Order: sequence, then structure tokens, then C-alpha cells
Amino acid sequence: MRKRNQPPLILKRFFEWFCNEEYFEELQGDLEEKFHQRTQSIGIRRARLAYGKEVMKLFRPSVFKRIKFKYSNNTAMFRNYTLVAYRNLLRNKLFSVINIIGLAISMAVGLIAIAFVSEIYSYDNFHENSNRIYRVTTDLHRNNGETSEYATASVFAGRRLATDFAGFEAVAPITKGLSSNIKKGESTISVQGIYADNSFFKVLTFPFLSGNPETALNEPNSIVLTESTARKLFSKTDVVGETLQWRKDSPVKVTGVLKDPPKNSHIRFDAIGSLETLDDRNSSSVNDFGVIWSSYVYVLLPEQHDMEQIQANLNQLAKEENPKLKYWQFSMGLEKLSDIFPGNGRYNQFGTVMPKKKVRSMIILALIVLFSACFNYTNLSLARSIKRAKEIGVRKVVGASKTHLFMQFILEAVLVSILALVLSYWLFQLIKPEFLSLDFYIQRTTTLDLSASVYLYFLLFAVVIGFLAGLFPSLLMTKFRPVNILKGAVSVKTSKGLSARQVLVCIQFALSMGFATLVTMAYKQYQYALNFDLGFSTENVLNVDMQSNDPEILKTEFLAIPEVSGVSSSSILPSTGSSMSNYVKHKDPQDSVNAFTLDIGPDYLNNMGHQLVAGPGFEEADLSNKAIVNQMFLKKIGINTPEEAIGEQVSFFQKNWTIVGVIKDFHHGTINDPIEAFVFTTGRQDHYHINVKLSTNDIVGTMSKLDEAWQKVDPVKPFSAKFYDELIQDTYSDISASLKTFGLLSGIAICISILGLLGMAVYTAESRIKELAIRKVLGATITNLLMLLGKNFMIIFLLSASVAIPLAYYVYQKTIVSDAVYQISVGFWELANGALLIIVIAILTICSQTLRAARTNPAENLRNE
Amino acid sequence: MKGTYLGEFQEIVLLTILVLDENAYGVSIQDEISRRTKREISRGALHTALTRLDEKGFIKSRFGGATAERGGRRKRYYQVTNLGRNALQEAKSIRDELWNMIPKLGIQGQ
Repeated sequence: MRKRNQPPLILKRFFEWFCNEEYFEELQGDLEEKFHQRTQSIGIRRARLAYGKEVMKLFRPSVFKRIKFKYSNNTAMFRNYTLVAYRNLLRNKLFSVINIIGLAISMAVGLIAIAFVSEIYSYDNFHENSNRIYRVTTDLHRNNGETSEYATASVFAGRRLATDFAGFEAVAPITKGLSSNIKKGESTISVQGIYADNSFFKVLTFPFLSGNPETALNEPNSIVLTESTARKLFSKTDVVGETLQWRKDSPVKVTGVLKDPPKNSHIRFDAIGSLETLDDRNSSSVNDFGVIWSSYVYVLLPEQHDMEQIQANLNQLAKEENPKLKYWQFSMGLEKLSDIFPGNGRYNQFGTVMPKKKVRSMIILALIVLFSACFNYTNLSLARSIKRAKEIGVRKVVGASKTHLFMQFILEAVLVSILALVLSYWLFQLIKPEFLSLDFYIQRTTTLDLSASVYLYFLLFAVVIGFLAGLFPSLLMTKFRPVNILKGAVSVKTSKGLSARQVLVCIQFALSMGFATLVTMAYKQYQYALNFDLGFSTENVLNVDMQSNDPEILKTEFLAIPEVSGVSSSSILPSTGSSMSNYVKHKDPQDSVNAFTLDIGPDYLNNMGHQLVAGPGFEEADLSNKAIVNQMFLKKIGINTPEEAIGEQVSFFQKNWTIVGVIKDFHHGTINDPIEAFVFTTGRQDHYHINVKLSTNDIVGTMSKLDEAWQKVDPVKPFSAKFYDELIQDTYSDISASLKTFGLLSGIAICISILGLLGMAVYTAESRIKELAIRKVLGATITNLLMLLGKNFMIIFLLSASVAIPLAYYVYQKTIVSDAVYQISVGFWELANGALLIIVIAILTICSQTLRAARTNPAENLRNE
Repeated sequence: MKGTYLGEFQEIVLLTILVLDENAYGVSIQDEISRRTKREISRGALHTALTRLDEKGFIKSRFGGATAERGGRRKRYYQVTNLGRNALQEAKSIRDELWNMIPKLGIQGQ
């Protein structure tokens, strides 16, 4: 029953909870007296209300309990924990070093991942309304049912959206292609940029240093420069109103200067020209719905927007304009600004876009390595927990609660991980350049420059890692019962902990073996791709970039050098990933074959070591409309023997060609492409490469001679050439990139797991030292002892290998060779190499420790009890 | 010195303690102020003022008798120290001086 003449109990309790003891008696007394006084004067109900008001008004800092004062005892305990942790680190130097190094190595990978991911996800977040900015994308549907997804949309479509459709706060069509030399008096600089109108600054945030964003791009032939472009041209930034010359020396007026786009902007430019300029030139890039290839439409949606309505508008626009298109139809959609970078691989992105898949796999790989290192800590702590059982027992007896002990062990782990962080930061700086050169995307988009927030993430990361690593052992150790510990009962057997440890070791080794197997296979495949028998000779062939010089003059100059044994020219270089294809018709005009084509100089086939199967080949006397085909071509088009083919007519490039030769099939694509029909033509004169065959051992000397010859022909542009083999290497850079990644990771994973194993082996040998001594006294040989200690580990290794190898093979098939037509045959050695290597290293590690224990005089170990 | 500055409310509290003489404790001070100034003051506001005055050394306190209506809790009686009296004197003399300097006193017509 509630006491009628009492203040509300809950408020009383509340007051008691927050009020400082020093004031409590006085204040509570006063409150209650006042309450009774009020019950008399204004009645119980209002008195209760007034009481509540009083309590609330007492809820102020000067009345609160002194929290620091109350818990001051705990800071002392924390100090003690830190001290004990520190002493523990020093006492077990080997384990501490293993833990710290192992964690540091893997944390370096974690740091890279954090820096990388935070950089990638900071892209475009500087725009004021970034959550309302979208980009219009276009899907191109071909008549044969194929669809290509483009990141682009035509300026025409953008303009129609702005004028004819509601639902957008602002629409900014832009187009790339401002690429010109801008002149100011005598000085000229080359500028890459975009064309846009004023709405560009409404949608996206690129602040002006001077000029008016409302009017800057109104007039044709006006240009807005970035700060650094302005500095390059004028050495100052207040240049609004100045006149420059661009395209054919026509004047262009500077109407604004922008801050440079930040490095985390996917849109980059040196200057922005007004779209009106293109209207003035009547360019198809602004007035044709079908020209989407390098223009983009960014839109700002209002706070309240109806996506369905907007999509319906886009569909309506496509419906109205699609009839203008002949070969395909467009459909349009919206893409959030945050989905652009990292992106999902639409064609014709503004710049290089990091694929989302790459970011994800990066995170996963980093996590795997991190877990592996956490396991080490967990494992070694578990193994040593028995040694610390006494400490736990005593602490419990003198009154430590589970929470306190838990805190202590977590604190220890965090301390270790923070020490590891220092080391890993150093490692991070060491591997940073390696990582940045890892692959194309990373090179183009990432700097790994660290901001203040990233440092904070690093610290947070270390604490989290420490917590995770320490979690399991802390939970286990706090469960020890003090009675058992102090009696000495725990030290006999903890079979529970042992099995958990075995599982952890097993996972760790499975990871190392998996990575090692992957690396082995990737390496073999890479070597295979490089040494692939292409069917023609690439050896000692130097490909010179013609840079629009006359091939005949160059050829003559090069041939004059004695070390040059042959010279030819070609339009593209087969087997390096680039190709051209065309539909070729034979007799039946309805029946055509898709054939790859290559235009070559007449000497090419001979120079590159192609083998003619039939026919005379290209003869200097008559080169007009002659073609040479490969055997696959005959098969596809239905001609039975090479001899029959000579003299046949085929048509492509709107011309008729006479077959004058058949060559043996060769690999014109990469290992990802099967052999297809192939046609060599000659005389079309759009050649870009000169193939110089060298027969010399003095590469450097010959190169300088070639350079001299080049200087005679073209004194302005520098000589640029690459060996065919190098070009092929570049073609397979994606395999070499994954090879590097997996190589690095497997190195790290192996390091960590061997370190962990070393710790385990030391521990096992130490804890069973008496047993070993007794066995030795009773006549066991060293081999027996090795077997005894090694047996358990062997089982773990075999188990790991049996999990890791199939998994590695699966990943290999799914990633590295997913597109390959030609690949290595994977046999026992490819699969087992990595695992065997690790097992050997592991056994050596165990043996070294066991031998040390087994070799000592048993009397030494048995003397003291 | 900032520490010895006497706020308006604090001054009233000090004076009230002097008025109440032997009987100055939480509730009586609260009631007296309410009665004189015709405004309800909360115990919380009073507490803050008392704490500040205590910090400045203007008042001292001792525990006194408990009553049943206080739930058996003791009262804390407050007394103004000499330092507090000086501070009051000083505040008063400043005011008096200012008052004396006003040439004509009285409500003026618009």
C-alpha cells in the first residue's frame, strides 16, 4: 500500500541515486520537511508535484556524486594490471616477441586495408548535397539482344530533362573532350577538361575563387580555369576578364577561377569550357541524342523526390527519342553519386574507377590475415594460461571479480596490440610503395596519404584487434576456480583448451597452405602464359612506335644498321590483347564469318616467322587487294584444303580480296582467347608499329644506333620502343598483380603461422620436459621423443592440407584462370608443393625445439622438484 | 578578486541567514526568501548559492537536531562568518556611495 503522506518513492530513490552523500542528509531532510509543509498548505497532490519539481531542479552537477572520488581505488588496480602485463611481457620475452611480431605483420596489412578503404570511400564526399546527387546512365540494347551498360548519357538528353521534365532541382550535362593547347601570348600549355554550363556548379561543389558561378559559362568561348591552370598561364589567380587563344587561335575569355578539384573527386579537369561553345560549333556531341560516348549528366534531386516518377520520366524521354536511333535502343537510369566510385564497371567512366569487387576482396584478404594473427595470440595465451593460473587464483581469493580479471587480460592483449601497432606502422611505410604499384587501378586512384582520422582508425583498430585476440583466453581464464588452482588441480590436464588450440592451429595452417598453393599455381600459369608457343617468333623483336612517321623511310634507316636482321610494319600487335575484327563473306553473301584482321607490310610474315602452308604469299609485284588467311579461316568458311583456297575471292571492308596464301594457325589473342579465323591484308597503310628483328648481344649499343636512326627521321618526338616479350608481359599484368598479392599474403600468413607454431613447440617441449627426461632415462631414443611430440602436429598438418588444397584449387579456377582457354595442367606437384614446403618448415621448427629439450641431460631436468 | 564577488542572490541568502540568526537552515532560508521577495525559489538554486558561499568562506555550517517530519534526518544550520559580514558591508557601502551620488531621487514624470 502506498503511504499517502509520503513523497513519491521513485523520485526519492532517484534523488538518492544521484545525490552526493555529503549533501544527501541535509537536502533530503529539507525536501521532506518542505513536502510536509506543502501538504498542509496546498494539498498532497500539488505537494507531490512540487517535490518532483524540486528534485529535478536539484539534478545539477554541484549536487552529483563525485564519480572520480568513488572509483579512485580502481585506477590503482588499472595501474597494477598494466604493471603486471608489462612484467609478463618481459618475463616471457620469446612469446612476447612472437606475439608482437606476428600481430605487427598482419596489422600492417590491416593498416593498408584501412588506409585504402577509407581513401576509396572518401571519394566525392566533399559535394555539399552528395546524398542527392545522381548520374544518368545509359543502357544500350543492340538488336541482337546484347546489352552494354554505359556510365554516360548524351548532353541532348540532359538538356531535355532540364527543360521538358519536372522532378530535378538542377541538371548538369557535361562532356569531355576539352583537350587543347591554350595560348597566352607566346606561352602554350596543354589543357584537359570538360564542357559544361552553369548548372554544373549548382549540382556539384567546385567553389569559385573569382568569377560568378551564375553567369560564368553563359557565353560561347568562355572558360573557367582551375587555380593551378591559372597559375601556370598567368602566375596569378585573379585573371577573370583576361583573353586567351585556343583552337585555331580563336579567342576565349576567362570568366572564372575555381579551386582545384580535390584528389578524391572522380571528376577531374584543368579547365571548364562553356557548352555554348559546342553549340556554336554545331557539334554533334551536344545536339545528338545518340552521342553518349563521352558525355555525362549529373542531376541534383530535390529533398523530397519520387524515384519512380523520375524513372518514368527517363523512360518517357527514351521512348520519344529512341526512334532516331538505327542500330540500337537506349534506356536510362540513375546512379547514386556514391555508387560511382568505387563502381560496378559500366563502360566509359569519367576516369579510372576502382571496381567494388576489388575493394571487397581487399577487405576479405586483410581480414583473413588479421584473424590468423589473432589466433596466434589466442593460442599462445591459452597455452600459457596454466602458468598464470596461480596468479588468477590468488587474485580471486583476495577479492577480484570476474569482470576485473577479464579487464586485466583484455588490457594485456590491448597493450600487446598497441605495441604491435607501432611496429606495424613502420612495416606499413615499408610495404606502401609495393602496394601502390600492385595494379593498374590502385596506381591510378590511390595515394595512401594518411589523414588525421585515419590515424584515429589505426588506434581504434589496434584496440579492437587486442580485444578480439584477448577475448577467448580472457573468458577461459576467468573461469578457473580458485580452489582447484591453488590445490594444483588445473595444471594436470585441460583437454578442453587443447582441442580449441588444435582447431586454431589447423585453420592457420590451412590458410598458409591455401595461399602457398594459390601462389604456386598462379606462378606456373603466369610462366605458361609468357612462354606460350604462339606459333610465331617474338624473340628479339623490338616494336617501335611509329608516331605517324613514314614507315618506308624508317624501315630503310633501320635496315641500314648491321645488327638489324629484318624490318616490317603492322597496324596492331597480335597476342598483346588488342584486336580488330570484321565480317568476311565468301561466295554466299548471306553467310559470313567473323575474322580478326591485321594489316601488315609485305615482309611481316617472314620477319615474324610465320609459316606459309600454301600459296606464294604477298609478292612485291602486285599487292593490291591481296589477303592471306589462316587454316581456321578455311575451316570456318568451308574450304577443304589450303591449295583450293588460293585464288578464291572474299569480301570485307567493302572490297574484294584475293587469297594469295594460307598460313599455319597461330595464337593471335591471349591465353584467354581460342584460335579464330584470321586474315592478313596489306597496303591499307594505317600502320602504327615497326617490328625490328635484332640479331645481336649488344642490346644497349644497338638501341642507341636505332635511336640515332630515329633522330634522323623525327628530331622532335622521342624514340619509343618495347620488346615484344615485354609487351606480352604487360598483357598478363592482371595475373602478375594477383601473383604479387597472393605472394605477399602467403608470405605473411606463413610467417605468422610458423611464428605461432614456434611458440607452441617451445611451450610443448617446456611443459613436458620432465616427461621427456624420464622417458630418456628409461631408454627412449631422440627419434622416439621427436615422434612423440611431432605426432599431434602431423595430424593437424595433414588435416589443414586436406582442407586448404581443394579450396585453393577452387579459388584458382574461379579467379585466376576463370577466362583462360589455355591453362596449365594441374597435377600433384602443383597442388602439393606449397603445402609440402610449409610442412617441411613446420617440422624443422618443431624438431629444433624438441631436439633442444631431448638433448639436455635428463638429470638437469629432474634434479629440482 | 573574482572569488569574493557577491552575486545578488547570494547577497540575499547571506542577509536572510543573518535575519534568521539561530534558525537558519535549508527550509527556513527558502521560506524566508520566498516570503520577502514574493518569488518561489527552488531548493536546488539555494543549494548552489550555499555551496558557492561556503567555497568563498562567507558561511559555515553545523548539523543540528532531527525532526520526525524530516524522516529523522538532521538539519544543517548556517552561520555567516566574519569574512561574509565584511563582504556584505563592502557591498552595502558601494551601494550607499552610489545612492548618495544620485542628485535627485524620485520617480520622474515622462
